[in-house]
Amino acid sequence: MAELANLASRPNRAEVARRPFIRRETLIALLFVLPGLALAILFKLVPLLRGIWLSFLETRGFEDPTFAGLANYRTMLSDPSVHDSFRNALIAFATLPVWIILPLVLAFLLFQKTPGWKFFRAAFFLPYIIAPIVVGIMFRQILAPDGPLNAVLRAIGLAPLAIEWLNGPTSALLALTAVALWSFFGLGVLTYLSGLSTVSEEVVEAAKLDGARFWQLLVYIIMPLLKSVIGYWAVLCTSGILIWMFPLIYALTKGGPGTATVLPEFLVFTTTFQFLDRGLGAAIGMALFVFVALVSAFVVRRMYIEGSQRK
Amino acid sequence: MKPTPFATGKRSRSVRTMLAGLAFASMTAFAGQAAQAQDVTTIRVLNWEPGGADYWKALVAEFEKLNPTIKVELETVPFDRYPEVQGPYITTKSGPDVMENNAGLELFDRRRAYEELPPEVLEAGKDLITYSGGCLNFDTTKPCYGLPFGYQGNVMYYNKKVLAEAGLDAANPPKTWDEMGAACEKVKAVGKTCLAIGLSGVFPAYWNFPEIARNYLTEDDMRAMLAGKMPWTDPKMVNILKGLASITQAGWTNSSAPSITMLPDGADIFQSGNAAFAGTIISDAANWAAFGKILGDENLGAMRWPTIVADAPLAGSFSGIESSVFGVSSWSEKKEAGFAFVKFIAGKENAALLSSIAGGISLNKNVDPSILPKSEALTQILEIIKKPTLHAGVLLSGQEADALARGWQEVSLGRLSIEDWTGRMQKALEQSPSKRQ
Repeated sequence: MAELANLASRPNRAEVARRPFIRRETLIALLFVLPGLALAILFKLVPLLRGIWLSFLETRGFEDPTFAGLANYRTMLSDPSVHDSFRNALIAFATLPVWIILPLVLAFLLFQKTPGWKFFRAAFFLPYIIAPIVVGIMFRQILAPDGPLNAVLRAIGLAPLAIEWLNGPTSALLALTAVALWSFFGLGVLTYLSGLSTVSEEVVEAAKLDGARFWQLLVYIIMPLLKSVIGYWAVLCTSGILIWMFPLIYALTKGGPGTATVLPEFLVFTTTFQFLDRGLGAAIGMALFVFVALVSAFVVRRMYIEGSQRK
Repeated sequence: MKPTPFATGKRSRSVRTMLAGLAFASMTAFAGQAAQAQDVTTIRVLNWEPGGADYWKALVAEFEKLNPTIKVELETVPFDRYPEVQGPYITTKSGPDVMENNAGLELFDRRRAYEELPPEVLEAGKDLITYSGGCLNFDTTKPCYGLPFGYQGNVMYYNKKVLAEAGLDAANPPKTWDEMGAACEKVKAVGKTCLAIGLSGVFPAYWNFPEIARNYLTEDDMRAMLAGKMPWTDPKMVNILKGLASITQAGWTNSSAPSITMLPDGADIFQSGNAAFAGTIISDAANWAAFGKILGDENLGAMRWPTIVADAPLAGSFSGIESSVFGVSSWSEKKEAGFAFVKFIAGKENAALLSSIAGGISLNKNVDPSILPKSEALTQILEIIKKPTLHAGVLLSGQEADALARGWQEVSLGRLSIEDWTGRMQKALEQSPSKRQ
C-alpha cells in the first residue's frame, strides 16, 4: 500500500521535464533579496576585501604601491604606539559596566516618576544630540586646568580633586571616556525607558508591598526583566567605546599626552592620512576589525543571547 | 458688453507681440547666461587662510578682477586640522583644484598630488627672493610643484608690560639660555607664565624645534636631515631633544602645555597678557600684527630665540622659509585656471595686499616696503630676518613631527627619558617613506 502511495506521489518524467529550473517563489524571493545583497557586497564586502589587500601593500607616500606580504603586520606588531592604542582600548572597554548601569539607574528613577522626571528625561537626552566634535571642543575648555570644572571643585572645597585632567595618562583617558559617556548615556536612558514601558506596574507595586527598596527592585526585579534590553545596550556601547570615539579624541586630546588617549581608530586615521602610510593604516584597521569582532562576539554571547534565553 | 471684432483682433495682436517680445527677451537672457556660464571657470582652493579672512577676501576679489573668466571658491580649513582634511582628498585623488601646503618636506611628501609647474608659471618665481621650498629638495633646477608668496619663520615675541611687572628691562630681553632662565624666575615670581606653549599637534616641530636646532646643526647637517641621513642618535640631534626638554623641565611654561595646542590655546595665554614670551612666527596667524592688535603695538617686542650655544655657526641666524606654497592638484580638470591662480599668488598685486592688509612680509622683490604698517615688533623682525638659514622644522617628516610632539609631552610629564625619546625619533625616521632613500 505504501509503495503504491509512493508511486502515486513520485512525479513522472514528463512532469519533471515541465518543471522550471527555478521555482517561481524562489525566483521572487531572490529578486527581493538581490538589491540588498548587491548593496552589501558593494559597500561592505568590497571595501573590506580592498582593505585586506591594501594591508599587504607597501605605500611610499603617494607613489604606486608594491606588494609587501606581511611586512605591514610585522611593523604593526613591533610598533609600541599600536600596543598602546589597543591597551587604551581595553582600559576604555573596562568602563563598560558604568555605561550599562548608570543609564539603567537613571531610567528606573524616571520610570518611578521621581520629582522633576519630565525635565530630567529631556535633560538626559540633550547631550546625545550635540555633535561629538562640539562636545570635544566644549570639554576642552571645561577640563582645562583653570576651567569651570576645577573652579567649581575649588569653590566647594574639593581643591585636591582639581587636577590637570588632560595631562595625566590615566586621567586623560578616563576623562575622554567620561565625556563619551556623558554624550552617549541619554540614548541609553531612552532605550531602557522603552524597555521599562513593557514592565507591568503591578509587579513593581507587589515587590514594593513586600518591602523591596530601590536597589532591590532594580537588581532582583527590573534587571532580570530587562536582560535582553541590557544586552542590546551593551553591544551598542561596545561599538561606541571601540569605534565611535574618534571625533572626541580629535577635538579633545589629539591622542595625547603622548599616546595616552590614542585608540586604534585614531591611529588608523593618523597613519593613513597624516603619515601617508596607507598599507600600515589598513593593517591596523584589520587588527581593529578583528579586535572589535572578538569583543562584540563576547558581549553578544554573554549579554544578549543569554538574556534573551532566560527571559 | 461684448467686445467688437476689431477690438478683439487688435488686442490679440498686441498680446501676440508682447508674448513674442517676452520670448525673445527670455531667449537672449538665457543665451547670455549660458554663454557666461560657459566662459567662467570656477576653481576650488583648499587653504588655511594664512594672513586672515580680510586678506583672503581682498585676494580673491583682486584675482577675479584681473581674471574675469575665473571664479574662486575657497575651502578654508584651520591650520591644525589641515592634514586630516587634505589627506583623504589626496588619497582619493579628488577634490580641490588648487591646494596649499607648507614649503619643504610637507610639499615633497605630497608631490604626487601636484602638477609640476610649467616654465611660464615658474617665470613668476623669478620676482621672488626665493621659491626653492616649492621645488624638490630645495633645488630650483628640479621639478617645482608650488609657488610661495610670503616669508615665514620663527621669532619669540615678548610682552613688555609683563617684563616690566617682573622687574625686567623690556628694552633688553634675554639673549642667552641662562638669561632666559633668570628672567623666567622673575616672571614666575609675579604669578605669570614665562613662555606660553602648547605641545600638541605640529607646532612643536615647526615653531620650537628649529630654534633649538640652530644651536647644534649646520646647514649641511640640515640637508642630511632632509635626505634621511642624519640619525636621531647623533649627539647633535640628542642635544636638540635635551634643549627642548629643558624648556618644560625648567618650569618656564604653562602647566597645561602637554595637552594643549599652540594655536589657539598657547597663543591665547600670551594674548591674554598672562605670559611674558611666546615663540611663534613672523607672518600669517599668531604674528606681530595679531598680537599687537590685542596687546597694543607699544607693548609688543620681537626677538631671536635666546641662544644655548652662543658660538654655534647658526646661533644668530633666522630660521626662514617661504611660507606656504600653492600648487595645482594633479587631478584637476581646470589646470590652466589653477596655474593662473598660482601665478597670481606669487605676483606683486598679491604681495601688496599681503603687506598692507595682513601685515605679512612678502617674498616679492617688487613690493614697496613703505606700505608696511609701522610697528616696533615688525621693525625688529625686519632686522632679524636679514641673516636667514634653513628652517629645520620643515625638514621633518610627518612621523618625526608627530613623535617629536608626543615625546616632548611625555618628557615634560616625567614619563619618558631622553634616551627613549631618541629611540622613538629614530624609529619615526626609519618609518618615514619620504626619507627612505
